[in-house]
Amino acid sequence: MDEFLFLRQEVAPALMSGLWMSIRLILPSAVCGLALGVLVGVLRIYGNHFLKALVGTYVLFFRGFPLLVQLYLWYFGLPHVGIYLSPYMAAVIGFSLCSAAYHSEYVRGAILSIKKGQMMAAKSLGFSHTGAIFYIILPQAIRRALPGSGNELIYLIKYSSLAYMVTCIELTGEGKILASAYFKYMEIFMIVGAIYLLMVSLATWGLNRLEDFVAVPGFERIHD
Amino acid sequence: MKKKSLRMIALIITCMLLGAAGSAWSGAKVYINGFDAAYPPFTFIDKSGKPAGFDIDAVNWIAKQMKFNVKHQPTDWAAIVPSLKAGKIDFIASGMSITPERQAQVNFTEPYWQVIQLLVVKKDANLTVKQCLEPGRKIGLLRGSAESKWLTDHMLKKGYKFELRFYDTTPLAIEDVANGRIDAAAVSNTALKEARDKGLPVKSIGRYGQPDVNYGYAVRKEDTGFLKTLNEGLRKLKASPYWQELIKKWDMK
Repeated sequence: MDEFLFLRQEVAPALMSGLWMSIRLILPSAVCGLALGVLVGVLRIYGNHFLKALVGTYVLFFRGFPLLVQLYLWYFGLPHVGIYLSPYMAAVIGFSLCSAAYHSEYVRGAILSIKKGQMMAAKSLGFSHTGAIFYIILPQAIRRALPGSGNELIYLIKYSSLAYMVTCIELTGEGKILASAYFKYMEIFMIVGAIYLLMVSLATWGLNRLEDFVAVPGFERIHD
Repeated sequence: MKKKSLRMIALIITCMLLGAAGSAWSGAKVYINGFDAAYPPFTFIDKSGKPAGFDIDAVNWIAKQMKFNVKHQPTDWAAIVPSLKAGKIDFIASGMSITPERQAQVNFTEPYWQVIQLLVVKKDANLTVKQCLEPGRKIGLLRGSAESKWLTDHMLKKGYKFELRFYDTTPLAIEDVANGRIDAAAVSNTALKEARDKGLPVKSIGRYGQPDVNYGYAVRKEDTGFLKTLNEGLRKLKASPYWQELIKKWDMK
């Protein structure tokens, strides 16, 4: 078959649909993962004993189990207790929960870096404990967590490539199917890799813009 | 004390290096058989973690008869042909269908087994083959398999609108039929028998149109000498009483 025709008729449509599925996996997982991660990070510092133990266990398990094993448990394990997740749902839940566990660590570190005086000052101005966390501590902490959390988002783009293992065929899955059907491993995986590189570059650019956008004048970051 | 333990470690590492080199030097060439770790009864990893199955036993017998050494290496099925071509493995004896696409890439021995490709549904399902191929139906199968290529080329590209779900292994696809998440799975009659023997509530509803396929061992195109060896070994095996023993042992009929 003519190489160009092959690329246009077979490779491009399959990879495009795979890419679309990848994006549909990454965006909700990124949003849910970050939101849950912030919540878990806050609870790990300010929660009561019970909550601290609970979220601590959560982070231990979701960082400790390999992501692929987690996905298998969500998809092939849960039917044994009568819960049937679609491949897409299993993947999004798996990615969100795993991602949140990592985000929570970045957020926790960032909260710890905010000086105690901030909390005391807020309280002396009449903020409640919860109010001080949400209006004073978190806005500063999230800005500091951003570089680390952005790193996690970039990981997420790449670990979305595990979804095909639970039959949610995204970019890597389409690539594998194409490659094994036409025996063109090198060519197809080079294209697939380049698409991930492009996505990661876009995300990096976006995250840098976001960091600039949320930077507070007067609290300038040190530029080199 | 510290010095002693350091010396111990150095000794152990040296022994390991020598051991690795030693096994590479000793005796006849070791041919590596790449196999699917989840394709019982042909090839699988048994409870003790060792390769087992009809093809594994057959190859071990042939290796002994034809005087070569063999090592069995579990390999990702979707990448097994390139693994062979890249020299990571030397042949594939793992219930591999002989297809024209694969024949363009590698050589096959003469066929040693014939299988029927079936659609498998849940035991209590009231589905016909025709209904399973209707728009919106979900059919599961092994990623990178001959049946996935056939269904794509001969059905999906000819206007059928069912959905294919690609699984990492055949048993996982059958498991999801039993789970009720997909309507049917396209598998071989031997894979179905294996699943039923394990107690999965599934049944066959017949052929879906793919011609019956033959299994053969695959070798690299340039390894004509080894292909001859394998063919001769297969002929000997089929002529010996061990062949019937194997069929009985793995309950193939």
